[in-house]
Amino acid sequence: MADDIDMEKPVEKSTVSNDCVVKSEKMFSLKRWNAVAMWSWDVECEICAICRVQVMDACLRCQAENRNDKEQEECVVIWGECNHSFHNCCMKLWVKQNNRCPLCQQEWSVQRIGK
Amino acid sequence: MSQPTGKLIGVKRKHSDENQVEAKKPAMEEAKRANFSALVSTNGMTKASPTVVKPAAGNVKKIVIKSMKELPKLPDNYQDVAWQKLEEAVVAIQNSTSIKSALEDLYQAVQNLCSHSFAPLVYSKLKNLTESHVQSNLAQFLAESIDPCVFLKMMNDCWQSHCQQMILIRGIFLYLDRKYVLQNPGIMSLWDMGLDTFKVHIISDPLVQTRTVDGLLLLIDKERQGDTVERSLLKSLLRMLSDLGIYHEAFETKFLSSTERVYSTEGQRLMQEREVPEYLAHVDKRLHEENERLLHYLDHSTKRALISTVEKQLIGEHLVQILQKGLDALVEENRISDLKLMFSLLSRVKNGPQELNLNFCTYVKKRGRTIVIDPEKDKTMVQELLDFKEKLDNIVVTCFGRNEKFVNSLKESFENFVNQRLNKPAELIAKFVDSKLRAGNKESTEEEMERLLDKIMVLFRFIHGKDVFEAFYKKDLAKRLLVGKSASVDAEKSMLSKLKQECGGGFTSKLEGMFKDMELSKDINVAFKQYIVHLNQPDLTNMDLTVNILTMGYWPTYVPNEVTLPAQMVNFQETFKKFYLGKHSGRKLQWQPSLGLCVVKAEFAQAAKELQVSLFQTLVLLLFNSADEMPFEEIKAATNIEDAELRRTLQSLACGKARVLRKVPAGKDILDGDKFVYCKDFTNKLYRIRINQIQLKETTEEQQATEERVFQDRQYQIDAAIVRIMKMRKTLTHNLLITELYNQLNFPVKPADLKKRIESLIDRDYMERDKDNPNQYNYVA
Repeated sequence: MADDIDMEKPVEKSTVSNDCVVKSEKMFSLKRWNAVAMWSWDVECEICAICRVQVMDACLRCQAENRNDKEQEECVVIWGECNHSFHNCCMKLWVKQNNRCPLCQQEWSVQRIGK
Repeated sequence: MSQPTGKLIGVKRKHSDENQVEAKKPAMEEAKRANFSALVSTNGMTKASPTVVKPAAGNVKKIVIKSMKELPKLPDNYQDVAWQKLEEAVVAIQNSTSIKSALEDLYQAVQNLCSHSFAPLVYSKLKNLTESHVQSNLAQFLAESIDPCVFLKMMNDCWQSHCQQMILIRGIFLYLDRKYVLQNPGIMSLWDMGLDTFKVHIISDPLVQTRTVDGLLLLIDKERQGDTVERSLLKSLLRMLSDLGIYHEAFETKFLSSTERVYSTEGQRLMQEREVPEYLAHVDKRLHEENERLLHYLDHSTKRALISTVEKQLIGEHLVQILQKGLDALVEENRISDLKLMFSLLSRVKNGPQELNLNFCTYVKKRGRTIVIDPEKDKTMVQELLDFKEKLDNIVVTCFGRNEKFVNSLKESFENFVNQRLNKPAELIAKFVDSKLRAGNKESTEEEMERLLDKIMVLFRFIHGKDVFEAFYKKDLAKRLLVGKSASVDAEKSMLSKLKQECGGGFTSKLEGMFKDMELSKDINVAFKQYIVHLNQPDLTNMDLTVNILTMGYWPTYVPNEVTLPAQMVNFQETFKKFYLGKHSGRKLQWQPSLGLCVVKAEFAQAAKELQVSLFQTLVLLLFNSADEMPFEEIKAATNIEDAELRRTLQSLACGKARVLRKVPAGKDILDGDKFVYCKDFTNKLYRIRINQIQLKETTEEQQATEERVFQDRQYQIDAAIVRIMKMRKTLTHNLLITELYNQLNFPVKPADLKKRIESLIDRDYMERDKDNPNQYNYVA
């Protein structure tokens, strides 16, 4: 299977035209592909330990305050150096009281913020 | 009623003008009410004040008034002479012969007698004269075996002539009436005296009275049986009874009890014999007839008693039977006018509307249940429900006068029966919406679609398990969006806003997220196209890749199906992934091969074709670039498609309408060891050919899986809701928590299940029981 696609490669010089690329002896060639993929946060634990809502959903506060869609979109995930993850909204409030990861008690420092 | 003679009218009229002006007050103060009902025109007066004789006109000479030397005297025998004249006249009137003396003379004589204080005498003589005459009339009514009809006519004639005579006599003795009777309160006016005499001497005779009343009842009975009777006779005699003041005691009571008897037997008989609609029409006719009767001859005071008797006997007594025997069929056959009649008739009796409502509810529940409960009718269930609802709405509006109780009980009944079968109605409603929103459904215009969606929302409102609806709706919506099969974005958005309105933003936020994902994917694909141009990898431009990026959690969960892709495709995937994750950090992508769609160009011997196929179909087809024939096992190994899925894929390519592959040996089912050869000579009229995937018939297992997922989600939802509430409230009593939960959850839950969830959350240290009050919970932060 991989071979017949390899066979296609050498023939293909032009980058624009599709039709001239196809070799005549080739029976089937792929013209268009409509793929589907699911994205989710790359997290170890799917539930935010602070608000106890799945990280894929908006945090409890955002849900309860019934903010409009734009603001809810902002309810992203934050990862600490310890690789633990929480809702960014939840963590913002948490660090005001205690600058440690709620799960491992390590000093909290941001590794990255999801977007 | 017979008309008085012209002469009579003349006499009466002569005085009426004067009377009206002068005698208004005394007449109004007069307690005794005369009844001239037997006459066409009455002036409403019994006792009239003396008439002032108008002065002769034309005398212009000066009048000198001298005092009289001597009072004028009557001749000694004037009294006898005058009375004789009067008596002759009265007798003449009574015998209907002509009066010899001039009426003017007679009137003058009365005036003279009265002015000379003979009034009491004249009155008593006149009374005697009347009495003896009336008494002489009695005999004819006592004769044996008179035909009731003849009897009534005789009675009427007697009464009419008595009245006429009395009017004539009163005309002559008017002065007596006005002067003497008016000044002596204890004495009856001449008219009343006439009535009284008639009452005492004729009607009070038991035989005469019985005969009269029975005759009347007989006539009415005849009329009820459909004969035509002389209504004027009835009217005249009934007015006689009321004039004589014995209508109620002598007639009405008997009449009502006879009415009751008649209709009680009639009701029982017809209830047995007739169909309900016919029966109701008959009752309506009867009521109409009785009202006619009231209009034409019965006294108005009888109205209420009579009508309520008829209503009670014909409707009230048979209420249960009418409803049980007739209602279902009428509603079933949508007989609007009959139902209208039923409602208006039943509304007349006590408990009628309530009973109707009750039976209506029972019918709706019973009939609705048959629509909902039978799995064989699942295909048509929603349409039937819509039709059923529309029909009943129409009945409530047009037949039951939009009565609020009916409107409400209709809603309750619907809610009741729709939820008798768990989950299935919700699922079917979701699927019904899908079939309407899917492309290719061009049968309806925008407005029609709007109206249809509104109707569906009405059904949706009745459903308890709204999350079941959501689960199935979401599944179908995903399909519509991913395959691009949605008929109209407007209709989709409209449906979504209706759901939002009904269940709140929480219910639709994920569905809205799905639409948003589709929008975002468009932008991402545009950016990706630019990105790969800059990469300058020729491999990536010879094919058109678009990717729909779906947010996990918004969409239904699909079973990840790892398959082996050709290197070119893997390259594409990896390029895209790099591009995407570069833009969005902290995310991960999971490909969903089962949702992929492709266009494959095929070079057949006859002509080149474009095949619209699924990703799985594509993978199989691409294998045949390097081999002419492949066994099933080899294909499986090369693609790594799941066994059942692969069999279906091959079936669609080799056994469907457009057969791009040929199966050896031929046959419908794909078996182990089958071989596949591609058809070089494939032909088709069309250039673009869509090869449909064989739709996995939604097996019961799959449905159960969806349902189970719904139930599992419910557990999470309950947990989340409890935590949410507790987090906000910090402490709550058990009952308040339960109440709040019921407000938030849009599916049916038993309190016991809620309790279990609460226990579980306490075990997991999300909350705790208050140490002092076991009925109170505290949130554990």
